[in-house]
Amino acid sequence: MDQTPETETPNQPEISPKKTDDNNSGLLQKIQSLGQTNVPQMEGSSIHCLTIVGQIEGHMQLPPNNKTTKYEHLIPQLVAIEQNHKIEGLLVILNTVGGDVEAGLAISEMIASLSKPSVSLVLGGGHSIGVPIAVSANYSFIAPTATMTIHPVRLTGLVIGVPQTFEYLDKMQDRVISFVTSHSDITEERFKELMFSKGNLTRDIGTNVIGTDAVKDGLINAVGGVGQAIQKLNELIEENKKNESEGLKQ
Amino acid sequence: MILYTVQPFHLMFPEEGNYGNAQNVIMYNNIPMLVERMGDETRIVQIMSTDPSHFLLEDCQPGKTLGNV
Repeated sequence: MDQTPETETPNQPEISPKKTDDNNSGLLQKIQSLGQTNVPQMEGSSIHCLTIVGQIEGHMQLPPNNKTTKYEHLIPQLVAIEQNHKIEGLLVILNTVGGDVEAGLAISEMIASLSKPSVSLVLGGGHSIGVPIAVSANYSFIAPTATMTIHPVRLTGLVIGVPQTFEYLDKMQDRVISFVTSHSDITEERFKELMFSKGNLTRDIGTNVIGTDAVKDGLINAVGGVGQAIQKLNELIEENKKNESEGLKQ
Repeated sequence: MILYTVQPFHLMFPEEGNYGNAQNVIMYNNIPMLVERMGDETRIVQIMSTDPSHFLLEDCQPGKTLGNV
């Protein structure tokens, strides 16, 4: 949230007068402690980029040996992207092994409900809970070498094996399935088939879907890289602008 | 908490003791970043911003130390 005021300010060439007035002592302190004043501000980009890497962290902080994406930081950034009129589009880049179901679905819902155009790009891997995040954007790309693992939701750690546990897990899984099928062209039947197929993964049931296959199944819109993704995003931004100006005329 | 991941549990939660330095997120020049305390110094681990131009600023590249912040 803190970044909203900074990004909201219109193009100011230098530090605003208000800043220099009440920050004189702060400036001195900065020179003393850092040996420098403010770094020159670059012109902000109209396309913002959200990188989702490693584990998606949920309600529990993971040990620092994990590379994590923290949802409590992403969500305010998504709010800032939605609010800031200078930001026109969002590029989501994924290379994730999965993570917390609730946090993953929260990020997916946030991206899906943005009023600004969004494009996602799966590089390397977009596994498990990375699948709903990849399909949440308006248009999705996957690199030809990238893979997505689709497998059932199951518990890790201490489990009390009562029938209710499995019902609960089934419900969790249904949330993932319904999100993916409603935000992509894959059918529920095909997605479940991939999820429960045997003999594809070494230690689990499920499927490891490679770039072109993900497109064939309708999970992802197209095979491509960063060039295609930015091009598509620019197209969507143009379309969005046109629609907005037409809306104003009426 | 239910994890839906391809990573095995023992890789995510290693034995006690080798958890490394504590990390936290701070705002530096209006850029959110993940930093690590190393004695008196604060080292940048990761830039958390969504603005691609923040990644080009020379003064806040990962690995740089910030001194006393």
